[in-house]
Amino acid sequence: MNVSIAAQSPPIISLQNARFSYEGGVEALRGVSLNVARGENVAIVGGNGSGKTTLAKHLNGLLKPSSGKVLIGGEETSTTSVATLARTVGYVFQNPDYQLFCTSVSEEVRFGPKNMGFGHDDESALAERALKLMGISHLREQSPVSLSLGDRRKVAIASVLATSPRVLVLDEPTTGLDSVESAQLMATLGVLRSEGMTIVLITHDMRLVAQHMDRVIVMSEGRIAFDAGVEEAFSDPDRLKRCKLLAPPITVLAQRLQAQGLLTEGATTPLQLVEQLVRVRGEQQ
Amino acid sequence: MTRFEDLYTEADTFLHRLDPRVKMASVLMLSLLAIIMSALTYLLVLLTFIFVLLLLARSSYRKTTFAMKFVLRFMALIAILWPLFDPSGTPVLIRLGPVVITEPGIWRGLASAARVGCLATVWYILIFTTSQRDLVRGLVKLGLRFDFGLALAIALRYFPTFGTVMDSIIDAQRSRGMEFEKGNIFVRARKYVAVLGPAIVSALKTADMLALALQSRAYGARRNRTYLRELNMRPSDYVALVAALAMFIVPAIAKYAFSIPI
Repeated sequence: MNVSIAAQSPPIISLQNARFSYEGGVEALRGVSLNVARGENVAIVGGNGSGKTTLAKHLNGLLKPSSGKVLIGGEETSTTSVATLARTVGYVFQNPDYQLFCTSVSEEVRFGPKNMGFGHDDESALAERALKLMGISHLREQSPVSLSLGDRRKVAIASVLATSPRVLVLDEPTTGLDSVESAQLMATLGVLRSEGMTIVLITHDMRLVAQHMDRVIVMSEGRIAFDAGVEEAFSDPDRLKRCKLLAPPITVLAQRLQAQGLLTEGATTPLQLVEQLVRVRGEQQ
Repeated sequence: MTRFEDLYTEADTFLHRLDPRVKMASVLMLSLLAIIMSALTYLLVLLTFIFVLLLLARSSYRKTTFAMKFVLRFMALIAILWPLFDPSGTPVLIRLGPVVITEPGIWRGLASAARVGCLATVWYILIFTTSQRDLVRGLVKLGLRFDFGLALAIALRYFPTFGTVMDSIIDAQRSRGMEFEKGNIFVRARKYVAVLGPAIVSALKTADMLALALQSRAYGARRNRTYLRELNMRPSDYVALVAALAMFIVPAIAKYAFSIPI
C-alpha cells in the first residue's frame, strides 16, 4: 500500500505520546506518536535496546503505556485485556519455542481459536487455512518440538494466524531461517497483505525491509528517529548510522553508482537497480 | 525487578569483604539464636541488629524493598493469625463465639512474627553481600564436590534467565488469547501446562547446549583443579567468626545451663 494512501485511511494502530518505563526506571519509550493505517506494511527497525520490542508489545497490550495512549482499532489498550486485543492483533514472538507446547502441530494451531471461543468447525477451518498458508499442512500430526527451527517458526506463525487477526506483529520472524524459507515467509506475508492484513515487522534485516516493506519506522533511544517510505529511509547513510543501522548493500551500491554519475536515481532492491541500469543504458544508446 | 533477579549488590563493605564461609557460619548462628529465643524483647533486639547489618550491607533500595516486602507481609500475617489459633492464658481480651483472643496469645504472635522475621532477614545478609560465585566457592572449600558446586552455580546463574523465559512464555500464550486469571483454581492450574511445557523444553535445550559448551572448553580434562582466587581466612574473618559463635553460645548457655529466660 502506498504510504500516502495509507495515511488517509483511519488508523488501526495509533500511539499518542506513549511513554513506558520498566520497573527499575529504565525509560524504554520516550513519547512515541504514530499512526498505522489498515493494510499498511510497516517495518520497525533500530539498534539493540532502541525500544522496538517494547513498542511492539504495546500493540497487543502486553505492555501498557505509563503515560500517553495506545489505541488499537479505536480501543485504548490500557483498559482492554490482552485476550480481547488478541482478536485484533496477532503477535509472533521471536523465539517460537516460547509458545509451542501441544503434542501435535494441529492441536497447537487450534489453541488460539479455542481460547477465543470459536466453534469447533470454525476452529478447524481457521487452523486448516493457517496450516495451508504457511505450507505445513503435511506436518499437522507431528509434534512441534521434533521439528526443525524453520518449521517450528512456521508453526508459531500459523498458530497466531489461526486467530484471524487484522494486524500481525512479527518479532524477527526470519531469524534462523535460510534464504529460501525467508523468501517463502515474506511471500506468505505478501498474500496476507493483499487480503488487507496490516503487517508490523520488527527486524534487523535491512534487505528484507527494502524488498518487502513500504514504510520504515526507525527507533533510537526510545524515540522515533524517523518515519518514512523505504527509499527515503535508506537515502541518508549518515542518518542511518546515527541510529546504528546500515542501508542494504543494493542501496549502498546504487548510491555509489549515483555518486559516479552512472545512475540518476537510487535503488533499494536488485530489481530496481537492474531497471535503473537498463534505463540509463537505453538513454546512452 | 523480576521475581528471579539476583539480590546481590556489589559494594565494598566489611560484610562484602568477609569470607563467605564465615558469613554462612554467622548467619547459621544467628538463625539458631532466633530459634532458641522466645522473649519478644530479645527477638526485637536481634531483629534490630539484623536490620542494622542489612543497612550496612548497602544493598540497592529497589532490591531491599523487593525482598523485604514478602517478609514484612508474612510477619504481619503471623502476628494477626497467631492469636486467633492460640487462645491460652489470661486475661481474655476478646470473646466472639468460638474466637477467643488473649493477651499472652497476642504477645506470642508478635514474638513468632519477630522470630520468623529474624530467620528470613538474616539470610538476606548473606544473599545481599555474597556473589553467587563466592557462595559456591565457599561451599566447595567447605567440602562440596566441585561438580556439584558448578551445577549449583549454573543453576543460580540461570535462575534470572529462566524467570525471563517464563515471563516471555506467559506473554506468548496471553497473546493467543489465554487468560490465566479466569476459572477456578483447577482450571487455572491446568492452563499453566501451556507455560510449563515450553519452559521445560527451553530449560532442557539450554542445559544441553551448556553441557556441549563446557565440554568444548575442556571441562573435566584435569582432575586436580587450580583456582585463580583462593579463599583464605584473614584475621578479621576469625574475629567475626568468634563473635558470631559467641552471640549464639553465650545466650544458649544462659538459657539452658542457668535457666535465664531469653
